Parts: sequence; structure tokens; C-alpha cells
Amino acid sequence: MNTNAKPTFQCSGIHIHIGEKEVVKGVDLTVLPGEIHAIMGPNGSGKSTLANGLMGHPAYAVEGTVMLAGEDVSAMPPDEKARKGMFLAFQYPVAVPGVTVASFLRAAVSAVRGVDVPVREFRKELLARMEDLEMDPAFAGRYLNDGFSGGEKKRVEILQLLMLKPRFALLDETDSGLDIDALKVVAKGINAAASNDTGLVLVTHYQRLLNYVHPDVVHVFMEGRIVRAGGPELALELEERGYDWLEPAAAAGGV
Amino acid sequence: MSAEPIPNLPLEHVSELSSAAGEGRALLALRNQAREAVSPLVLPARANHLWRYTNPARFLPESDPTALTPIDVGPTWRLDEPLSVAALLAGGATRLVEMDAAARKSGVVVENLHRISVGDLLGTIVPASHGFLEAINMAAWRGGVLVRVPAGVSLEHPIRLRLVAGDLSLPRVLVVGGEGSSFEVIEGHVGGDRGTGKVIGVSEILVGKGANVRYGLVQRWESGVVGHLTARARVLTGARFQMSIASFGGTTFKADVGAFLAGEGAEVETYGVAMGGDSQHFDHHTEHIHEYGKTHSNLDFKVALTGSARSAYTGMIRIAPGAAGAEAYQENRNLLLSENARAESIPELEILTDDVRCSHGATVSPLDPEQLFYLESRGLPRLQAMRVIVYGFLDQTLARLPQTTRERIAALVAARLHTD
Ligand SMILES: Nc1ncnc2c1ncn2[C@@H]1O[C@H](COP(=O)(O)OP(=O)(O)OP(=O)(O)O)[C@@H](O)[C@H]1O
Ligand SMILES: [Mg+2]
Repeated sequence: MNTNAKPTFQCSGIHIHIGEKEVVKGVDLTVLPGEIHAIMGPNGSGKSTLANGLMGHPAYAVEGTVMLAGEDVSAMPPDEKARKGMFLAFQYPVAVPGVTVASFLRAAVSAVRGVDVPVREFRKELLARMEDLEMDPAFAGRYLNDGFSGGEKKRVEILQLLMLKPRFALLDETDSGLDIDALKVVAKGINAAASNDTGLVLVTHYQRLLNYVHPDVVHVFMEGRIVRAGGPELALELEERGYDWLEPAAAAGGV
Repeated sequence: MSAEPIPNLPLEHVSELSSAAGEGRALLALRNQAREAVSPLVLPARANHLWRYTNPARFLPESDPTALTPIDVGPTWRLDEPLSVAALLAGGATRLVEMDAAARKSGVVVENLHRISVGDLLGTIVPASHGFLEAINMAAWRGGVLVRVPAGVSLEHPIRLRLVAGDLSLPRVLVVGGEGSSFEVIEGHVGGDRGTGKVIGVSEILVGKGANVRYGLVQRWESGVVGHLTARARVLTGARFQMSIASFGGTTFKADVGAFLAGEGAEVETYGVAMGGDSQHFDHHTEHIHEYGKTHSNLDFKVALTGSARSAYTGMIRIAPGAAGAEAYQENRNLLLSENARAESIPELEILTDDVRCSHGATVSPLDPEQLFYLESRGLPRLQAMRVIVYGFLDQTLARLPQTTRERIAALVAARLHTD
């Protein structure tokens, strides 16, 4: 971690409404290049809403400011944010039948890098990253997320992270539903991204991910707010005690 | 009595047309029978399932289609792929452009249909009684081709027929695949560059015992063309028939395509993609008729529409009494890319025996916003994201076709996506 570095990501005063309902109630977060933050919180507390809203999901009304490497990207549509270096690994990646992983990724890589990557060069890079993630090369020819197992979908999200090399990535439960080998592979991908100076926010329910990935900060997220922040030891405490003991903090409106 | 004005379609010059084309008596007899079938002309009622979505009068020629007009030699055609056979049907003329050595050596026949000596196969799969347009075609067709692949012959490269629409075109195609033959034949419908034109086309395909025939119908007329194409295959015992239809062009297009599974163990697959935009009107009807048991058919038909395009799809599966052990699957999906586009999808099942497996599915839906968001979040601008989704939607179906045909149609899809 580089303490002199300028934040790669910064959001402030984020409120998100779904219809009439306020789901995210004021979130501020600063992430430096190469930093790993974990967000942990109960089901339904608004973590995915925060992640999707920050990325610009059209169903969510987002207030507040989102800065990427010092640039205000709040008003940008999701594709522009992506081209500025923002990435979201989805909790539930959607299938796009008929579009192969390879052709999709080539389009995405070309869009994000702003150059048409030659097919051969692209294939070489793709196969190398797939090998890093211990993926069968046949996946390149399969339709994106179509009929993929839960774990396969998560691996493909990490593959995209490694191919797109964003400045900042939000990973929404990319560790959920993984067997132990897959978890190690995903952790390896996350660590590789961090050592490449990508700032990361991991939304997770499981302390076990943190055995392989060492977060700089752990945030506890409840009822639409970050109610506590601390070091990795906070994750252990949550594992032992659950979230109940933090309810007074949540009721008080967070940190 | 009906108050509808009785449409008039003179067919006065059948004999002259037939003799000018050098036809034998058998063909003339077929023409005359067909003429009688539409004299006087009675248009099908709009309540008829086939004509609920499209006005039949739209396809009527404005003048006597048997009146001789000079034969137009037709445009040149530069081949850009290895082919067994290339034949051009334009302006009422038929021209063999290419036949490779392998096809020649194995006895493949490509003949001007007007010159065939026996008419005993012509009109047996699509007879004049099929419908008024098929009867008009039978009475007045001009420019036709017979392709015969002898028994046991396998052709490595496709047979490509190019049919060029003029002011009024009534082409006729007869494909005969001998027992155990294996080949691909593609009918490409182009033309109509004057912004007008009517087409009434009929194609018949006989798939001999144990043969394996891939038949493609690619319609990419210029805008302005109003056309109706009928294609039917008769698929004999143990034979396989794969039909594909790709519809892009024209202003009003109706296709009536299908196959008779006319022997035990016959297998038929039909794959369709249609892309409509502006105010295009498409009406596709497919039929899989299981006349025998232990037959298998599968159909996958995809439609993508923009602008205020309209599409109707009706899919008939008929399983005849006694056709035990037949299996038939049908799926039609429609993707609406604009608010003003409309699609209808009607499965029609006539299952007249027990002991069959049959399923059908139909959907009409807009683009999935979650798919769009996923692709956009990976840097693809909205328009590109839409194109990727539509391309995938159609390519999934195209993936079942022979590789080069798939690639060629996919290129047409991509080109179309970049103009809409
Ligand atoms: N499109 C939507 N329409 C209505 N309610 C929604 C919508 N999306 C989310 N919500 C609601 O917002 C709340 C927060 O949901 P969200 O998915 O953000 O929770 P989460 O913290 O990610 O939960 P989990 O840990 O289970 O993934 C929930 O009560 C959910 O039902
Ligand atoms: Mg969630």
C-alpha cells in the first residue's frame, strides 16, 4: 500500500433509492491504489444495491459523488465508468446466450483499452489468464454464463477482472458458493489485481476468504450504512459474534 | 354472397409461354390444370390461419404473369467461395454459372426446368392445390431449375442458386437428392433494386431414402419487394433434412416452408432467423408433417425487430394417426428492440396419435435490461451492447448450420445490425 497515493476511488454522500424506498443511506468510502477493503453485512442490508448503484444500474436512483482517480464520474453511464477504469463483479452474473466468453471479452477489452486488440494477441492473453485461474480453455468458446455453475460464473468474473485491469473493482460476493480450490484461485486473482494497483472492495459474508486475501480495512454494513470500520480482526469478531452487537451502532446512524 | 370485389387475374398466355420456353406437353398440362384451379380466382379468407396476419391480395401480380416479356440476361455473379454448382435465375432465364469437376464426374444434373422431359415429379410436393399463389406459380412460372444429385453422391461444396427478383418473378426450383446422397443447397433471393417487384416462388425438395440434405433459403431483397416463397421437402425413410431460412429484406415477405416426414426414421430440423426493421412486414409459416412413426423434428425460429416492423410466426406440427414414436419440438423466440415493433407467435399442433413426444414454446420480449447493464458495465456502449445481445440471440440458432453458411448469414446479421 502506498500511503502517499491519491485515492483511486472515492464516494461520498451516497444515497440510493429503489422506488420510494431508501436502501443506501449515506455511504462514504475512500480506496487507495492496491488497497483491499472488505464490506461485510447481513442479507438485505443494501450491499448489492450500493455496488450496482455505484456502477450506474438504471433501476437505482443514486445521489452523491463518485470519483475515480480524481475525476467525477457520478453522472456517467456504466459503459463510460468502465472505460474510466471501474469494474463490478456481479453477485449474480447474467447469461448472454449466443455470445462466447472470448468474443464478449474481446469486445470489452477493446472498448476499455480504446484499441481494437488483434485476435491472436488477444487469444494469447486470454489463454494465459485462464491458465492462471486454472480454467479449461474450452470455456473461451462457451456462451457467457450460460449454463455455468455458480463457481464457474465467479471464476469468469475474476477472469474479466484480470483481463480488463481496472483501477477500481467492486466484487460482490465473488467468494460465495465456491469450493475450497476455487476460493484459492479467486483469491489469487484478487491478490494479483491488488498488486497491479487496482483498488478493491470485496463484499463478502465469509471470513474464510480473508484467510487468503488480506484486507486493509473491514467495513461493517448494516441497514444501508457503514456502521463500523476496522482491521482484519473485525472480520473475526463478526464471525464469532454475528451482527447483533452492532445494532445500536446501526440504529445510531453509523460511523 | 360476398361483397368483396372479385380479384381478376388473367392467365391468357399459358400456351405461348410454355412453347416459347420449349416445354414438353407434360409441363403444359400441369400449367393448364393449375390455371383452372385459379379461374376464377378466389382469395383465401382472412380468417384462415395462414392469412390472418397478411392480406393475400398484396401478392397478386398487377398484370397477366403469363404475358411474355423479354428475357433479361441478368446480372453477372462473381463467385467468392468454392461451390459444387452455381446457377443463376434472373429475368426468367436460368444460367449455369459453375459446376466443379467433382460434381460433373459424379453425374450431378443441373437443368433448365422448362426443358425437363417428364413432369411427374414437378408439383408433387407443392401441388397447385396447395394454395392460390402456388397455383399461380404453377400456371405461370418462368425461370426454373432442376438440381439432381444421384444416389450415393456426396458433395463437399454447396450448391448455390441465386434468384434475382425483377418486376414480377415467378421462379420454380426442384431439388432431387438421390438415395443416400449428401449435399447442401442454398437458395439466395436477391434483387429488387428498382424499389419495387413482386415475387411468387415455389421450391420442392425430394430427399431420397437415407439421404442427408441441408437446404437454405436466404432472403435479402432490396426494400420495396413484396414476395411470397413456398418451400416443401419430402423426406423419405431414414433421411435427414436440415432447412434454414434467413429473412432480411423486402417490404412484405411471407414464407410458407416445411417438410413432410414421409418415411420411418426421417429427421427434419428447421432453423430460422429473421431481422426486420422500419415498416417491414414478415409472416413465416412452418410445417413439420409427421406422416410416419419414429420420425423426429426440431424447429428453432428467431425473430429480431426494430423500428415499427411486424412479424407473425405460425408453426404447425402435425403428427398423423398411426405415426407412433414421433418426436417434434418447436421453439419460436421474438426479440423486440423498439417500442413500436410487434410480433405474434402461434403454435399449431395437430397430434392425432398417442405415443408421441411433442413440445413447443414461444416468447415475445424486449431486450433484457440486466443483460444490457452487464455488457455496459464492461465498457460496451449501449448500441454495441444491444448489437452483441441480438447477434448472440440469432447466432445461437445459426450455430446449428453448416459452418460456412453460418458464417455468411452471421455476416449478413452483423451488416444489418450496423445499419439499423
Ligand atoms: N429491484 C428491487 N426492487 C425492490 N427491492 C429491491 C430491489 N433490489 C433490492 N431491493 C431490496 O433492497 C434491499 C437490499 O438488497 P441488496 O440486494 O442490496 O442486499 P444485500 O445486502 O446485497 O443482500 P445479500 O447479502 O443477501 O446479497 C433488500 O430489502 C431488497 O429486497
Ligand atoms: Mg447482495
